[in-house]
Amino acid sequence: MKGRNLLAMLLLVAVLITACAPAAPEEPAEPPAVAEPTTAAEPAATDAPVAEGWTFPTEDVTLEIWWHEYGPFTAYMEEMIPKYMEMHPNVTINATKVSSADLNQKLSAAIATGTGPDILDQDASYYVQYYEKGVLEPLNLEVWGAKSYEEVAGNYLPGGADAGTFDEKIYALPYQGNSMSLWISNKLFEDAGLDPVNDAPKTWEDMINICPKLKVVKDGVTVQKAFDFPYHSQRWQLQQFQPLTEQFGGELLSEDGKTAALNSPEAVEALKQWKRVTEACGDPKTTMNTPSNPNQDFIDGRLAMWITGPWATPQIAASEFVGEDFTVVGLPQVDPTNPRTMVYGWEWAVNADRPEINKQVAWDFIKFVLSSPEEWLAKAGFVQPVEGLLETETAKTFPFLSVHLKDVETASWYIRSGYVNEISLAVGAAIDSVVYDNADPQAALDAAQAEAENAMK
Amino acid sequence: MDLSQKKSPIQRINVPHFLKLSAPRQQKLFGYLILLPTLVIIFLFRFYPMMQAFYISMTDFDLISPPKFVGLYNFIDLLKDPLFLNSAKISLTYVVFAVVPTWIISLGLAVLFNRNIPFKNLIRSAIFMPVIMPAVVMALVWNFMYHQQGVVNVILGWLQISPIPWLRSSSTAIWAIILIGIWRASPYFMVIFLAGLQAIPEDFMDAAQIDGANSWQTFWYVTLPLLKPTTLLVVVMSIITAMKVFAVPLIMTHGGPANSTRVLPLFIYQTAFEFFDMGRASAMSIFLFAAVMIVTLFQIRIFSTGEYE
Repeated sequence: MKGRNLLAMLLLVAVLITACAPAAPEEPAEPPAVAEPTTAAEPAATDAPVAEGWTFPTEDVTLEIWWHEYGPFTAYMEEMIPKYMEMHPNVTINATKVSSADLNQKLSAAIATGTGPDILDQDASYYVQYYEKGVLEPLNLEVWGAKSYEEVAGNYLPGGADAGTFDEKIYALPYQGNSMSLWISNKLFEDAGLDPVNDAPKTWEDMINICPKLKVVKDGVTVQKAFDFPYHSQRWQLQQFQPLTEQFGGELLSEDGKTAALNSPEAVEALKQWKRVTEACGDPKTTMNTPSNPNQDFIDGRLAMWITGPWATPQIAASEFVGEDFTVVGLPQVDPTNPRTMVYGWEWAVNADRPEINKQVAWDFIKFVLSSPEEWLAKAGFVQPVEGLLETETAKTFPFLSVHLKDVETASWYIRSGYVNEISLAVGAAIDSVVYDNADPQAALDAAQAEAENAMK
Repeated sequence: MDLSQKKSPIQRINVPHFLKLSAPRQQKLFGYLILLPTLVIIFLFRFYPMMQAFYISMTDFDLISPPKFVGLYNFIDLLKDPLFLNSAKISLTYVVFAVVPTWIISLGLAVLFNRNIPFKNLIRSAIFMPVIMPAVVMALVWNFMYHQQGVVNVILGWLQISPIPWLRSSSTAIWAIILIGIWRASPYFMVIFLAGLQAIPEDFMDAAQIDGANSWQTFWYVTLPLLKPTTLLVVVMSIITAMKVFAVPLIMTHGGPANSTRVLPLFIYQTAFEFFDMGRASAMSIFLFAAVMIVTLFQIRIFSTGEYE
C-alpha cells in the first residue's frame, strides 16, 4: 500500500513537473473570433499595379486585419481580400471581425500585449489616442506613389482626411465619412398635410413651428413624435450636440484637443435650444431606439423626422413602414447662411509595432481597398469623402447622396480627443438631466465641464 | 512461494535518509500534492490578478503605455471625485433597497414552500426561473416591459396610474433596476432558506407547540434563531452580489439617465475599458473590495455574538 502511495506521488510530481515546465515559444494571444484565413485563389500573375519607385516584396507576408462587424461591410471586405491575394500570391491575409462596441477595448488590449493586427479599423475619434501613444505608422508615401501628404489629402473633400492627420502627416484614411442629415418620413408628412420637400425645416425655429402638426398625443401618451434627438447613446448625443454648439459659434474642444469648453455660453445656448426642440417636437420617454437599432422609432413610423447618416439608407429603405418613401434634407441650422454640420467615420490605419515589410504591404492593401469609392457605396453603403464620387453612376442612383455630401462640406469631424468617451458621457449626462429632470442648462454643463477637466487633467 | 519474502521494486530504491517520511507524513504530503494543482490555478487566476490590481492601483496606466508609479495618488484623488462618490452612493442605495426586501421575500417564500401547498413543486420551479435566465436576456426583456407602452405600464393603466418612464427618468431608473434585482435574487435565496428550514428537526417545533407557542412565536423564537447560520450566509452573499451588480445597468441604461444608475462596478468598467485609466479603475476596485470585506466581517461579528448562549 505504501509503495502504491509513493508511486502515485511520483506520478503526480511528474505530472506537475511537466505542467510547470517552460512553455513552448510564446504564441501570440488568441484574437477574438478569428475568421478562417481567406483562401487565395491559385497563384496568378504578380503583375498587380504598384506605385512607381516601390517594389512589391517577393517574400511571404502574412497580414492580420481587424474590422468592426457590419454585414454589408464584411461581405465587401471578404470579396476584396481574395482579390488582393490573387494579385499577390505571396500575401496571406487573416481577417478578424469584432463587434464595434468591443473593438476599442480589444484593440487596446491586443496592442498592449504586442498582438495587435497589422491593419486597424477604428472610429476616427479614437485615433488621436493611438497616435499619442505611438501606435500608428504614418502613411507610406512611397507605397502610395505620392509625393506629399497634401497630395493624398487633395483626393478627399475639404477636411475629408483631417481625422487621421496629426502633425501634418496622414496616419489613417477614411473608408466612410458620414454626415448627419435630416431624414423625413414622406408618409407622416403627407398625413399631416405637409410637403416633405417644401415644408422641410431649414432652421431649428422652422422645426419648432412645424412640430405641432406632426406630433400626435393620445390620452396623455405620445404616439407619434415629430422629431427627437437621440437618447439611446451618449456618443450619438455628442454627435448632435457638437454641430448645434458650433452653429451657435462655439467649439466643444480647443483646436489641440487638450481643453474642453463644454460650458461656454454657446454650448449653453445649444442645450437650451435642444430642450426647446425636444419639448415642441419629441418625447424622449417613449423611444424604442437602442444602440444596435438606433433608427428604430423612425423605421417604425413613430417619428416623422430623424437625424442619421447615409449608412442607414439600406436599412431604412428595406423597412416596412418607411421603405423608400423618405426624403433627406440638410441638417437644420441656427443660421442657414453659415451652416455647420458634423461628420464622423471609420478609418484604416497601420500598426507601427509590426515588421517593416508588413507595414508596407499593409499600406498597399489599404490603397487597394480604398481605390473603388463607387464600389464601397454600392456594396457597403459607405460614403468615402472623396472628390468625384458624386459624378459616378452609382452615386447618381444612391438616394440623396448629394445632400449627404453637401452636409460633409460644411462639417467638422466628430471631436478628436483621447478623452472622447469621458466627454460624451459628461455631455450625455448633462443633456439627460436638462431634458428629463429639468435641470438648469448652465449648471448641467458646468458639471459636465468639471467632469471633463477632471478626466483631462 | 512465500509472498512476504518478495520485495517490492519500490523498496529496492535507495531513498536518501532525509527523504524518508513516516506514513502519516507521507499521507499528509500526498494530500498537499493532490491539492496543489487547484491551489496553483486559484493562485494564478484569483490571487495573482488581485495582487496585480493592488499594484496597478498605484500606477498611471492606460493599457498601452508602460505603467508609471504614482503611489497613493489614485486613492486620494478618488476621494475628491464627485463621479466616484456619486457611484458609491448609487451602489449603496442599490444594496440597501435591493437586499433588505430580498431577505424578507426569500424567507417568506421559503416558509411558504416549506409547507404542504397544492402544486408546490410546480410553483417553486416557476418562481426559480429568473435565477437561471441569463442576465442579458433578462435585461432585454425587462427593457421592453418597462417601456412607455410596455406591460408594466399597461398593468399600471388598469389601476388608473399614469405611465411611468421607468428607465427614462433619473428619478425612477434606479428603482427599476432595484426591482429587477429583487425579482432575480429572491428565488435564489429562497432555496437557501428552504434548505435551512428543512434542516431544522421537527422535534423543536413539537416541543414549542407542547409549550403552547403559537405559529408566530414558534417562528420568531425557534425557527429564526435556528436559521441563524443560513441567514448569515444569505445576508453576506446577497450584499456581496448586490455590491457587484453590473450587467443589468450596463445593458439597460449604461449608467444613465444623468448617471443615475451608474453603480460602482459599472463605473469601474467604464474607467478601465472606456476611459482606459486602469490605475484609477483598480483603485476603485480596491475600495469596493475593502467595502465588501468590512461589511462581511461586520456581519459575521454581529451574527456570532451570543452564538453559544
